[in-house]
Amino acid sequence: MAKTVIKTSFLHRPLSRRDALRAGMYSLGVGAGLLGTSLVPRALAKPAEAVPSPHAHPERILVVVELSGGNDGVNTIIPYGDDAYYQQRPTIGIPAQDVRKIDAHFGFHPAMAGFEHLYKDGKLAIVHACGYENPILSHFASMGFWHTGSPHAGEKLGWLGRLADTLDPEVQRNYLVNIATAQSLAVRSRHHSPLVFYDPEGFKRNGVHQQQPLFPRLSDKRDTPNASLDFLTGLAENATESAAFVRQAWADYQTPVDYGVRAAGLGLDLRKVAALIKAEIPTRLYYVSYAGNVFDTHVHQNDLHFRLLTYTTDALRGFMQDLNRLGRADDVAIMVFTEFGRRVPENASKGTDHGTATPVYVIGEKVKSGFYSTPPRLTDLDDGNLRYTTDFRRVYATLIQEWLGYADTKALLREEFETLGMFV
Amino acid sequence: MQWIWNPRPRRLVSRVGTGTGIFLVLLLTFLFAEEARSQQQNRRAGPHSWTGDLTPITAQDWSPDRAAHLLERAGFGGPPQEVDHLAAMTPAAAVRHLIHYQDRDNSHVPPFDESGVFDPTLDPFPKSRADAVRIARLNGESMGVKVKPGGSRPLQPVVDRFFYWLRADALEMRRAGQWWAQRMLVTKRPLQEKLALFWHGHFATSDTKVRDYRKLLKQLELFWQQGNGNFRDLLIGVAQDPAMLVYLDAGENIKGHPNENFGREILELFTLGVGHYTETDIREAARAFTGWTHVGLAFVVKPELHDEGQKTFLGHTGHYDGIDIIDIILEQDVAARFIAAKLYRYFVRQNPAPGLVAQLGAILREHRYEIAPLLTTIFLSRDFYSPPAYGTQIKSPVHLVVSTYRKLGLTAIPGVPDFNTTTRDLGQELFHPPNVAGWEGGRSWITPALLLERGNFARTIFFPDMVNFRPPDRWMPVTNQKVATKIAQGYEITAATIETDDNAMSGNAMDPSGSESMSMFNMMAGADEDYNTRYGSTHGWQEAFRRVKPIPRFAAQLSMTSIVRQAELATTSEVVDYFLERLLRVPLAADDRQALIDFLTQELGTHRIKPAMSYLEEPVSHLVHLVMSTPEYQLG
Repeated sequence: MAKTVIKTSFLHRPLSRRDALRAGMYSLGVGAGLLGTSLVPRALAKPAEAVPSPHAHPERILVVVELSGGNDGVNTIIPYGDDAYYQQRPTIGIPAQDVRKIDAHFGFHPAMAGFEHLYKDGKLAIVHACGYENPILSHFASMGFWHTGSPHAGEKLGWLGRLADTLDPEVQRNYLVNIATAQSLAVRSRHHSPLVFYDPEGFKRNGVHQQQPLFPRLSDKRDTPNASLDFLTGLAENATESAAFVRQAWADYQTPVDYGVRAAGLGLDLRKVAALIKAEIPTRLYYVSYAGNVFDTHVHQNDLHFRLLTYTTDALRGFMQDLNRLGRADDVAIMVFTEFGRRVPENASKGTDHGTATPVYVIGEKVKSGFYSTPPRLTDLDDGNLRYTTDFRRVYATLIQEWLGYADTKALLREEFETLGMFV
Repeated sequence: MQWIWNPRPRRLVSRVGTGTGIFLVLLLTFLFAEEARSQQQNRRAGPHSWTGDLTPITAQDWSPDRAAHLLERAGFGGPPQEVDHLAAMTPAAAVRHLIHYQDRDNSHVPPFDESGVFDPTLDPFPKSRADAVRIARLNGESMGVKVKPGGSRPLQPVVDRFFYWLRADALEMRRAGQWWAQRMLVTKRPLQEKLALFWHGHFATSDTKVRDYRKLLKQLELFWQQGNGNFRDLLIGVAQDPAMLVYLDAGENIKGHPNENFGREILELFTLGVGHYTETDIREAARAFTGWTHVGLAFVVKPELHDEGQKTFLGHTGHYDGIDIIDIILEQDVAARFIAAKLYRYFVRQNPAPGLVAQLGAILREHRYEIAPLLTTIFLSRDFYSPPAYGTQIKSPVHLVVSTYRKLGLTAIPGVPDFNTTTRDLGQELFHPPNVAGWEGGRSWITPALLLERGNFARTIFFPDMVNFRPPDRWMPVTNQKVATKIAQGYEITAATIETDDNAMSGNAMDPSGSESMSMFNMMAGADEDYNTRYGSTHGWQEAFRRVKPIPRFAAQLSMTSIVRQAELATTSEVVDYFLERLLRVPLAADDRQALIDFLTQELGTHRIKPAMSYLEEPVSHLVHLVMSTPEYQLG
């Protein structure tokens, strides 16, 4: 009983007439589901197809996965059919017989059984050589460009934060979720306060019964000239209210699906996302990330890279299986990216240094498997670095327009980008 | 009747022998307290006109609250007597007292008590388990352990050895973190520790990669020695520091094959910032640092690996080595501004105006990169006490925990809650910065979940979670626990290490080909015949537990009752005001203050303290936990 009260009291604001009109029957379906009786079958609850509009697919979710540190794209989607690859990487090149072949030219790294499955099942798009003009080889600067979707522009807000502001001008609670110990720039928003948590079980205020009424009271938003205090009180209010829901969602979630490494890492974080999706929190944008620049493989990279690709692709495949189990696979697209690739020639330490263009991966039931855009050329390098063939914002534009149904990507990304046509 | 007038009005105390004057005393107390409170408000932050003004404040501008602000920023705050001590000085003397700490005796702080787990065969340590195996196959041994000439799993002892040191070093590093926190707590030189923490974040180096607690402690020693000295000396020290050399792959930076990692970070993160150099400058700098490496804890230059050739760096050309590069860097105005601005953001506030940064940079250059004069200017400036600076800094997790203990008057870091786990869960673990850029600080310390977690930490000081607490230095992951149990029950290693009971493929684990839904990771576990990784990992935990000294697990020894008694607090409102004053740099709203008074009165069953003295402890602990759960308490 208490659970229902919590959910209905904050998860959705009381629906205004405008909200109800805007969201159509779908909101009613979700609302009914929250009350414990799903009165409206999901298929019926979806509004009719219409012109692209952010409200055409209110059930659709985007999950963004960050591989921090600069994943070595060349040893991920391996151009095993290219002699130049083995010339540039005499010791760390992956032998052709070990590669999980995609076509006569490219194949997956042997650790990537998970991606191979997804690809064969028709759920994995690989976008070649994503990057931007005048690449910066600093982790922080380059990651900042991907986070903001604005290279060299000094943008202060994240692309997902701006996207939330655009798609949801009414500013629903918990439209954006970031599974992390520290908030990512990608979700920094002008109007939305992202729900950021890492440990769902620990997301609560411990205190004796008599203290409980004082916690929300002491967290109330108040007028203050102290900007830091203003920031903290705004956050405190949301935290106090959202914690119980997240905790309940996690407690109610169990899965038989094998996500790979179990104790920590991407698999665990994606299970938290699955738990929230199962609980029908109104989140449309999720952000999940590796911590600590783990993909920064300067030295003796092959063993480490093998493990990282194993964990990553196991987890993503498991997540898709789990979404299928939950009946939500059709509603979710996942984008996997890193801040830059690595230089093509290996370095003296059997590793690779910071580079430029790198593939982006999009996964989803409605994704059309295959390669997108133009492959990079290993024989036409810019001082050891790949030349990008795809502005990474084309992928953003594709997700915003083709997946989430918002047409005016120029307003969000400042330029017009041709979308890639990757969804069914 | 004796009046004791303390300048901090909430500790206005009357000692009344008889009851005759009580009414008068209460009235006077009330009037004085009200007046003093409003006066005190004025002595917190200065006027807005002080913002950006580096003019030193005068003795007339000084107040206990401003002294507390100084101690909070230049140290980790402190109990009332420490604040009073600074407040009794002039501001110039207080700042001098904090900055020129070298001659202050600190010998009561004990040296690190090593477990004695290191031996020379562990340095250099293989970069990975696979690397250890490769070395062993090549040389017949690794880390002082030989490959078995025959029998089963010939490489198992090597793998066991690898995991042993991985765990033992991590546990010893935890002990070192606890020890450093203890120094922060009891030091007579708080700024020395605060600066060491700053440089630890600036020259971020993590034991996750270094895997040698001795090197991290040696680096900390450098920060203690040079923290308020000359930045050039410090920078050279860091460039030659074994922990940094390992962390940024200096061993791989050799003539003909420069590794750019250090060259990039010294420019981007340590001195100039993005936009003030080119990719070519990075490569040229990397060449100049070739051959700089270490043997054990000693810095060495290997001339045969150093690139003697000509380099062109930031517009200069010559046969440079690392020192030359550092000197060219420090000639740039932007370097002085970069360091000065970073110190300012750490000690004062985020987002200083460019004009102020230019002034601070000029001061640093004027003093040839001496850090103490810059800090003196900052701590004495009107700007430091201006509204955007005063009570606006979100405390880092380490600051939060250490200053909480200091403000409560503790003299030992408790073992429950565990210090390292607490700060790590809040986003900051000593000797483990998240990446080469260190901790971002400011608002990034807070997320919705972490804000609640900070309040929960406060609760565990008073009410340690004895139900769920497990000493993290004596706990291994569940997978390893199962392996250890099965090994002791006589299972063969393969049988003991296969996951059987909690995955989708249960019953199918011996047949990877048949388990369509099994992850790659679980297919591979224990697959190698020459050794078993999962067994090695478990063995490593056990051996590390056996050899690394445990962290003592006592809870905080606190008596809130004696604090109340010593301060001679008579009513619940006095108690609330006393703790608000003692704990907060930012005042609580009047209605929240009243809510706390009502809470305490309700819990005690009276607004008078004296009749409640015998059962005060728990209600006052609840009160202090509530105060520490406020957004205000997160600010220093």
